[in-house]
Amino acid sequence: MFKKILFATSATAASDHAARVAFNIARSYQSALNIFHVLGVPSRGYSQVVVDVKTKERVDVDEDYLAWVNEDIKTYYAKYLDERLHYTIDVAVGLPAREILRQAKKLTPDLIVIGGSTGDEDETVYKKSSAGTTLQKVAKASHCPVLVVNRPAASFWGGLSNIVFGTDFSKTSEKAFDFAMKVAKALDCEMHVFHALDISPLHGGRMLSQDEIEQQIREATRKIRALYGARLKELSHYSMDVWEGIPYVEIVKYARDKHADLLIMAHHSRKLPSQDIRMGGNVEQVIVRAGCPVISINK
Amino acid sequence: MPEGKFCNKKPVDTAEGITQLLSDTSGNTYYKEMKELTVDSDLLWKTIQNTCKSRIRTWLEICAHCGMCAESCFLYQVNGRDPKQVPAYKIQSTLGKIIQKKGKVDNAFMRHAMEVAWSQCTCCNRCGMYCPHGIDTGIMFGYLRGLLYQQGFVPWELKIGAGMHRVYNAQMDVTDADFVDTFEWMVEEYEEDYPGLTVPVDKEGADIMYTVNAREVKHYPEDLAEAAVLFHMAGENWTVPSKGWEETSLAMFAGDWAACKIQVESVYAAMERLKPKRMIGTECGHAHRATVIEGPYWAGRKDGLPPVESIHYVEWLAEALNTGKLKIDPSKRIKELVTLQDSCNYIRNQGLKQATRDIMKHIVEPGYFVEMSPNKEHNYCCGGGGGFNGIGLYRKQRNIALIKKRDQILATGAKLVLAPCHNCWDAIRDLEEEYDIGIRWSFLKPVIIKMLDIPDHLKPEE
Amino acid sequence: MHDLLTGVFFWIALGVCLIGMLARFIMYFRGLSWQLDRVAYTSHPAAGVKGAVRSIYKWLIPFGTYGWRTQPFIAVAFFGFHIGAVLLPFFLLGHTLFLKEKLGISFISLNATVADGLAWAAVISAFFLVLRRLVLPEVRIMTTLQDYFILLISIAPFATGLLARYEIGNYSFWLNMHIFCGELLLIAIPFTKLSHVFLFFASRAQLGMDFGIKRGGMKGTKMAW
Repeated sequence: MFKKILFATSATAASDHAARVAFNIARSYQSALNIFHVLGVPSRGYSQVVVDVKTKERVDVDEDYLAWVNEDIKTYYAKYLDERLHYTIDVAVGLPAREILRQAKKLTPDLIVIGGSTGDEDETVYKKSSAGTTLQKVAKASHCPVLVVNRPAASFWGGLSNIVFGTDFSKTSEKAFDFAMKVAKALDCEMHVFHALDISPLHGGRMLSQDEIEQQIREATRKIRALYGARLKELSHYSMDVWEGIPYVEIVKYARDKHADLLIMAHHSRKLPSQDIRMGGNVEQVIVRAGCPVISINK
Repeated sequence: MPEGKFCNKKPVDTAEGITQLLSDTSGNTYYKEMKELTVDSDLLWKTIQNTCKSRIRTWLEICAHCGMCAESCFLYQVNGRDPKQVPAYKIQSTLGKIIQKKGKVDNAFMRHAMEVAWSQCTCCNRCGMYCPHGIDTGIMFGYLRGLLYQQGFVPWELKIGAGMHRVYNAQMDVTDADFVDTFEWMVEEYEEDYPGLTVPVDKEGADIMYTVNAREVKHYPEDLAEAAVLFHMAGENWTVPSKGWEETSLAMFAGDWAACKIQVESVYAAMERLKPKRMIGTECGHAHRATVIEGPYWAGRKDGLPPVESIHYVEWLAEALNTGKLKIDPSKRIKELVTLQDSCNYIRNQGLKQATRDIMKHIVEPGYFVEMSPNKEHNYCCGGGGGFNGIGLYRKQRNIALIKKRDQILATGAKLVLAPCHNCWDAIRDLEEEYDIGIRWSFLKPVIIKMLDIPDHLKPEE
Repeated sequence: MHDLLTGVFFWIALGVCLIGMLARFIMYFRGLSWQLDRVAYTSHPAAGVKGAVRSIYKWLIPFGTYGWRTQPFIAVAFFGFHIGAVLLPFFLLGHTLFLKEKLGISFISLNATVADGLAWAAVISAFFLVLRRLVLPEVRIMTTLQDYFILLISIAPFATGLLARYEIGNYSFWLNMHIFCGELLLIAIPFTKLSHVFLFFASRAQLGMDFGIKRGGMKGTKMAW
């Protein structure tokens, strides 16, 4: 299932929750774990100097420094690292999103694990000039599923047992469903297929009457059955639901209700990463709010 | 100890040499060794006799010491109007002295000259416009850098940079394969949003051959994708060479003229191989100066022109917008105060001021574009030109140098600065980091991509 | 004495000056190198000439360039000195008569009041140029004894000429001194910084060609001097 995992980390508290999940999965499923850290952003013009994101110092990146950072990461994650874990550590220089994608291109992992927003204190001046967050960019362009852990509550301790799959009936959702099925089967989980009906006037342009809402719910439920019903039968436990409201709120609520320990959704590639995360797509909103890890699938 | 292990008169021209030099963190040992480096006065004087001809000699001789260049130099202005920062003084007390003493100068003098040549002049050439006698001190400093480089008195980073060009024909350790792979990877990633996007490699007879800055390949590959997107949107018949794709030249900053020649000839060879109608370089200032303006002379081209017509990215953009090849959605134009950084290397040194202003007309809502003062040919250097940005040893001086641009930007009231030049971009980034004035800055490509009016047949399927 | 000064000495001074200037002028242009200077002088003569001419005439016009406009004080002192320095040797009544007699060339003569004005302007301007060198740190740091010497021998003919003009003391002494200083100046021209009287044109033309050919001229951009 997860033979190779790429764990992209800032090696700071911001990634701690993601780390717990990454190490947990790797240990549970004997995955090869690549711990990948982008230590700083180089300049545009010619310079050997890089501002280290952790120490905030201007440093010359050479072999010695890379080795030192490597050692630092090993120390930081010492409590997780033992001989039973197959792990490697890589350190790179560049824009985090780009370097994570480059690493993913090289390693072709089955899963990328990444922390959520690193918070303001980690912002370098570079951020102001590059649109979108690392997370958005990685999620958009990644060829493999991206697992995001944004909130402390979202990091699980045990194995997976409850998966919520959120669909919007798009093509990408098909792929996300395939993946969700794979996980559910491999790990013998319960699967809850969910669609949120967007009833905000912003979306429809007007207020919907209750009859219309219920009509649309019935339609969506039919659609879920038609699309996923047959295949869901391969699982021992599953359910299908359609709730109305603001989609991301409903998904988060639903996941809580189902005690989900994993949320799987399609990422809308059309959404340019330039959009502010607060205004961004449902997936971003769900990631920010969800009480469990979220896997975003794009390709 | 005359020649050091790291600091010596020999240019670096192997990958191992570069690695070794890089392993000397911040050039600490390098600079220590430099204190022991002997000056080969005979070589110095012989070189001067062979290369310092009437133009520079006359400049040095007829300089009236009138001080009119003082105020023209931003480094003079921001360093408390220290008379030691007057351009004429700076060159007379370095190159002037060397010639006066027929090359018989000592190590300490050479180290001082190095400091002046790389931390007190960015070769922005502004003073040349303010001298009644037409003395261009920037040109003389370029020449002085060559003399210093030959003697091994060059900042550590630039010795590495020049070495990179000798080894990789690029300013960083990016191979030809890396370049093609990265470009293809980026296009593949963007293809979803821009159907039909491709990167035609080594296509003969294309209308445009595109060249880049190796840093884009190494650290900022989005730039490559953006260039591809814009060519694609404009319906251009373009290509990139798999060899000779690097437009920049740190060798020029270093004063390593032999490496300059090696570098620029690699690009010209690509032009001759692929026979494009035109060559277009990325949004970089010194790259254009190196490959298009000065390059022909290093390569020994008597007409002073590259093998095929070569234009700067802003010229192509202006043309594409003016002719309607690229259309801007008026509702997406910039609607906040925005200012524009004029890069010395192609504005003062090739008069491309109109191109960038044409672009501004297309992408900024009327009334929101504020010029810096002064601007165009008279604009000040960003503060980091001529290699200044990259030299750790002179970081402090560089940060002071940023003050002029900071104040110019503040005076416009704009919070957005468009900087179509890698060095300017970087200097402006650094000044935000250093002085925190709350600005944003950008190249043109990403800004324009966001506001394009995309024709239906190029839109992705919903 | 007077005969000697206006005779042999005059011819020597004039000869040294003219031949020296010519030689240096030729040497200057022969020493230009398209590759070392990185200006394709001969490949683009039209663009080069255009650039050269603009570069010269813009700077000859008082306040004609950005540089002059941004530094009005030196601009006034500069032109105050140079207008007199260029016009008076040729067009002062006494000089025109002398030149007619010696060389057979006759120039129109300046009105006496104008000539006086120019001479005074030159002396006063020169005073300010000296003052500038003493007072402004950015000029003082570069100023050498030679710079003062040049100013001294440049202003000496004016000073002595004015002393003679107003007949302060011995007229013929001042007149001889005036002629002597003038001839000294002529001889100094090719060998000192005074060579700028002709190398100014060479140097400005060179930079003008640079801009006219390489730095924008051939792109259709006229340098905004």
